[in-house]
Amino acid sequence: MKKALLILVLVGLIALTGFSATKIQFWHAMGGWRIDMLNEMAQDFMKLNPDIVVDVQYTGSYDETLNKLVAGIQAGTAPHVIQNFEIATQKMIDGEIAVVMQDLIDKDPTFDVGKFLPQVLNYYRVNGKLYCMPFNSSNPVMFYNKTLFEKAGLDPNKPPRTFSELYEYAKKLTVKDAAGNIIQSGITWNLNSWFFEEFMAVQNAPFVDNDNGRTGRATKAVFNRPEGLVFFKLWNDLTQNGYMLNTKAVDWTAARQMFLAQKVGMLITSTSDVALFTDSEANGFVTGAAFLPKPDNSPAGGVVIGGGALWIIGGHSKAETDAAWKFVKFLAEEEQQIVWHLGTGYFPVDKNSLENLINSGFYAENPNLLTSIFQLLLSVQTYNTNGAVIGAFPEIRNIIQNYVEKMLNKELTPEKALELAEIDSTKAIREYNELF
Amino acid sequence: MFKRKLFHNAYGKTLPYLLLIPTFAVIILFIYWPAVSSFRMSLYKVSPFGNKTIYTGLSNFENLFKNPDYEKSAWFTLFYVSFTVIATIFLSFILALLLNQKVPGSRFYRTLIFSPYAVSPAISGTLWSFLLNPVVGHVNYFFMKAFNVQVLWLTTKPYALYALLFSSIWKALPFSIIFYIAALQNVSDELLESATIEGAGTLRKIWKIQFPLVSPITFYLVIMNIISSMFQSFAIIDVMTKGGPGGYTTTMMYRLFLDAFAYQKTGPASAQSVVMFLLMAGVTIVYFLFGERKVHYA
Repeated sequence: MKKALLILVLVGLIALTGFSATKIQFWHAMGGWRIDMLNEMAQDFMKLNPDIVVDVQYTGSYDETLNKLVAGIQAGTAPHVIQNFEIATQKMIDGEIAVVMQDLIDKDPTFDVGKFLPQVLNYYRVNGKLYCMPFNSSNPVMFYNKTLFEKAGLDPNKPPRTFSELYEYAKKLTVKDAAGNIIQSGITWNLNSWFFEEFMAVQNAPFVDNDNGRTGRATKAVFNRPEGLVFFKLWNDLTQNGYMLNTKAVDWTAARQMFLAQKVGMLITSTSDVALFTDSEANGFVTGAAFLPKPDNSPAGGVVIGGGALWIIGGHSKAETDAAWKFVKFLAEEEQQIVWHLGTGYFPVDKNSLENLINSGFYAENPNLLTSIFQLLLSVQTYNTNGAVIGAFPEIRNIIQNYVEKMLNKELTPEKALELAEIDSTKAIREYNELF
Repeated sequence: MFKRKLFHNAYGKTLPYLLLIPTFAVIILFIYWPAVSSFRMSLYKVSPFGNKTIYTGLSNFENLFKNPDYEKSAWFTLFYVSFTVIATIFLSFILALLLNQKVPGSRFYRTLIFSPYAVSPAISGTLWSFLLNPVVGHVNYFFMKAFNVQVLWLTTKPYALYALLFSSIWKALPFSIIFYIAALQNVSDELLESATIEGAGTLRKIWKIQFPLVSPITFYLVIMNIISSMFQSFAIIDVMTKGGPGGYTTTMMYRLFLDAFAYQKTGPASAQSVVMFLLMAGVTIVYFLFGERKVHYA
C-alpha cells in the first residue's frame, strides 16, 4: 500500500514538473537589487502561465553572459532567452543563433510592434527586421549639482548647453588650493568610448561607413572628422586644466562616487543611474538633469540608446520557443516596463507606459526623469543617431579608450589620437569581416 | 596453482594503472585536451559563435609578432614578472626572518600578515582601487595631509605601474612567507649557535647559513611566483587598471583575456596561449637545468 502511494506521488511529481510544464531558461546580466526584480517578474509570469517554468539566472556582466552563451551554444546547452548589450547586436546576428524576433512578431496578431518608441525600434531594427525584443534601454544624460552651481555663482536653472558654456562652467566649478591641488573639479564622466559615440550622434555625425553599418556591413571607421576632434579636444582641454577628473576605463562607480561626494559639479552618465542621485538629495545637495551639450554651431542630432535587449535562442523545441516568446512579450508589457523603469532608471521602451506615467503625474514629481526621456524623444532620427552596428564593437571601444588615455597622459595630441584610433578601428572591422 | 599466480601477477601489474585512471581522466579532460585544442585552434580563424571557421595556417602568429602592441606587452610582462618575483622573494624572506623571532605577539602578527592570502585577487584589486581612488581614497588623503600632493594612481603613467606592482607584491607575499617560515624553522639552532661562537655577525649568518639552507624553497617559490604573476595577475589588472592607461599595464595574459573573452577572437587568443606555453616551458627548463645546481638539499 505504502509502495503504491509512493509510486503515485512520484508519477504525479514527474507529470507536474516533467510533462505538463514547459521549462525555459533566462540568462541576464543585471546585478545587485535588479536580480530580485527580475526574479519577481518571472514569478508573476509563472502565476499567469502555470504551464511554464522560467529558470532565471544572473550570469554576470554582459561580457560574461556573452561568453557563457558562446560556450552554451557549442555545448548544446544554450538558454532560451538571453539578455545582451546593444553592441553585441551585429555579433548575435552574424552568429545565426537567434530566432529572428520579427518572425515571431509577424506570426502573433496580438502583438503590436508600433507600441515601442521609434528610437528604440530604430536601434534594434537591422536590415528592416527586429532581431530582438527591446527591454532595458538607457541613454547618457548630464547631471549637475545645483547647490555647487549656486556656490560658484552659476544659475542652477541654466545648465550648460554648448561646449564653450560647458568649459566655462567647469572652470568656475573648479577649486584649487595654494599648491595647485584640486579640491573640487568641474565635471567627470567615466573613461568610456560610449560617450565619444554619443557625442558624435549629438552632432549628427557618423561613426562607421555604410550609414553606420545600417545599409550594408560596415567596412571602415569614419569618426576622424571635425565632429570627433572637437570632442577629443574638449576632453583633453578640460583634463589638462584640471576642470575634469577622469577614471580608469569604464569605471562607472568611481565617476558616481566623485559626483556624490561633491568632488565634481557635473556628471555625464547613464540614465539608469538616476535613482541613485534622487536619493542623494537627502545628502545635502540638489541634482538637476540636462541634455548633453553640443558644440556651438553644431547641427541638431540626438542620443543613441544604450542598454540591452532580449534574444530568443534557436535550436529549442517549438513548445519551448513559444513559451520563450510569451515570456519576452510579457517583459515588454506596460506593467513590467513601469516597474522596471521605477526600480532602475532604464526608461520604458513602450508608449503605453509613458502615457500611463504622464497621466499619473509621475513626471511632474520627477523632472530629472522627464529630462532624460525628453532628450531621447527629441532626438533627430537619422542613421547617425540610430547608433552604429559593428561586429567588432567591443574591440573598437577598447581601442578608442586606449587612445583617449594616451591623449590624456600627453603622449599624443588629440589629432593624432583620433587618427590612430580610426586606423586601428578600421583594422579591427576588416579583421572581423574576413569571416563574413 | 600456476594459473592463480599468473592472474595475481597480471592483476598486480594492472592495478596501479587502474587506480591511475581517474587522475588521468581528469588531467586529460581538463588539461591535455584543452591544451591540444588550443594548439589546433591557433591555426584557425573562428567566428564568435563558431559558425564560420577558416584555416589560416600560421597567420595568427604572424599577426601577433608583427603587432607592436604585442611586443610592448611582452616587454611589460617581462618587467612586471621579474620585478614582482624578485621583490616578493626578497621581502618574504626578510619578513619570515622577522616573524621567526621568538618575540611575544609574533604569532598575532603572523596571522595579520597572512591575511592577504585569503583574499581573492579580484577582491584585493577592488580594495586597492578604493584605497587609491584619487578623490575619495585613503592613500591620497594621507598624501595630501602629509606631503600636500595629489597622485592619480590608476590613470596616469607611471603611477598605475607602481600601484599595480605594490598590490601584486602585497598579494603574493603571504604565500612565500608561509613557506619561508616553515623552512627557517628547519634550520638547526646548533648551526646558528656555533656560527655565533665562531664570531659570525647576524648578516653573515643570514646570508651564509640560513639563505643557502632554504634554497630548495627559494627554488620552488621562484617558479611558483613566476607562474602566478604570469598567469594569475590578470584579475588584479582587470580590476585596477584595465590594462591602462593607454595599454601601459597590459600584460600578455591580460591581452589574451581581452582577445578571448572580450572580443571572442578564439584563433588569435589561442596563438597567444601557445606562445605563453612555449615561453613558460622554456623558463622552467632553463631554470631546472641551471638553477637546480645552486640548490642545496640538506
